[in-house]
Amino acid sequence: MMFYINKTNCISPQQTFGDIDIEQLHASVDNKLKVLEPPYPAFTANAIRRMSKSTRMGCGAALPLLADSTQPDGIIIGTQVSGMEENGKFLNQIIEYDEDMLTPGNFVQGTPNTISSQIALISNNKNYNITHVHRGLAFENAVIDTAMLLNESPQSTYLLGGVDEICANNHTLDTLADWFKKEDCANNDLYKSNTNGSLSGEGAAMFYVSNNKTNALAQLKAITTIHNTDVDVVKEHIRNFLLQNLPQGEKIDLLLSGENGDKRALHYYTFCEQLLDSGTPVARFKHLCGEYPTASSFALWLACNFVSGQATVPEHMLKKAAKVSALKNILIYNTHKTAQHSCMLVSIP
Amino acid sequence: MEIAELKEKLKVQIIQFLNLTDLTPADIKNDEPLFGDGLGLDSIDSLELIVLLKREYGINIQDPKEGRKVLIDVNTMAAYIEQHREK
Repeated sequence: MMFYINKTNCISPQQTFGDIDIEQLHASVDNKLKVLEPPYPAFTANAIRRMSKSTRMGCGAALPLLADSTQPDGIIIGTQVSGMEENGKFLNQIIEYDEDMLTPGNFVQGTPNTISSQIALISNNKNYNITHVHRGLAFENAVIDTAMLLNESPQSTYLLGGVDEICANNHTLDTLADWFKKEDCANNDLYKSNTNGSLSGEGAAMFYVSNNKTNALAQLKAITTIHNTDVDVVKEHIRNFLLQNLPQGEKIDLLLSGENGDKRALHYYTFCEQLLDSGTPVARFKHLCGEYPTASSFALWLACNFVSGQATVPEHMLKKAAKVSALKNILIYNTHKTAQHSCMLVSIP
Repeated sequence: MEIAELKEKLKVQIIQFLNLTDLTPADIKNDEPLFGDGLGLDSIDSLELIVLLKREYGINIQDPKEGRKVLIDVNTMAAYIEQHREK
């Protein structure tokens, strides 16, 4: 059964926080899709000026979910880079001041678990608190952790999230390694580029989850992950995932594909599409959020909104569609750097 | 360096060290309390200010009582720097 998603929030490069509008595409700037940060009325001035961007947007997306909910039994966050920008400042201080007179601010904000701990501090939550940092599967491991906890303790509720920020140093390194495009590319031309690399992105998606079906937005029915670069192994893994988890007689009504404009990754997505019925609609989301290690959390946020009818699939997302209607089962497939792959099956509650 | 010039430089450094990005030096009055009702700084900021004095002026404040007398406002910080600076 996995779990139900009762509430969700997302801060992203698109208008996803507050009044949702994903029809109108916000453009990338300098090959980056940076988040549209909302005001953060819940934070004091002293708190906000010390927060890293990932902590700001993580807390900013999480706290409204907790405002009118029972205290969750755990806060479970997936992030690869977290406050890497602050981490870089701290490391530079070590060099600049010869390991002397280091202040705690940048260090505290630069550690990955700052997001989950800051949410706990502000919401006075003293329960289970953990951060998963498994690169491109960080969010998926947070999901698996949550599912196992709910299996052990079915009455519990959890706050689950995926957060990552664009860090200047990592962006440079990943651009040199061809993971981000070297030539100028706008997000609305991302899939036509036919070159190596994608656009850099960031975001924070939060989910309040439980085994309670009442008023749930969506059900996360199943998840799988695999580390492999062999396309046949990955294809077989996805095929088995669908055989084991898609109920008899049902079909995938929409594939949310993590296709990201990197020609080296395209064949993984093409093979995944070929596993489904030829008429299955395919929608892509990386031109909305950019590429980042926990981008699958943005896809899960989209899937929740699509199956619950809170948003419709905009035309600019559709790669292949006869007609997108009556969404019951959505398959999310994503690969990070062609080695880490994940599938999530999201259904109506 | 004239004391007035030192105070202006100090305000820029306070903004930079404490990440007070929504303030300009003109927003900080020389006699405005740094803590409490003035700029509203807190104990973590006091640590950052002590590090500022060490890094930028070579001043070591080890006695907390002394720190309380120095970190009152820009005037007191500038006066202390004038007397004790090594840089």
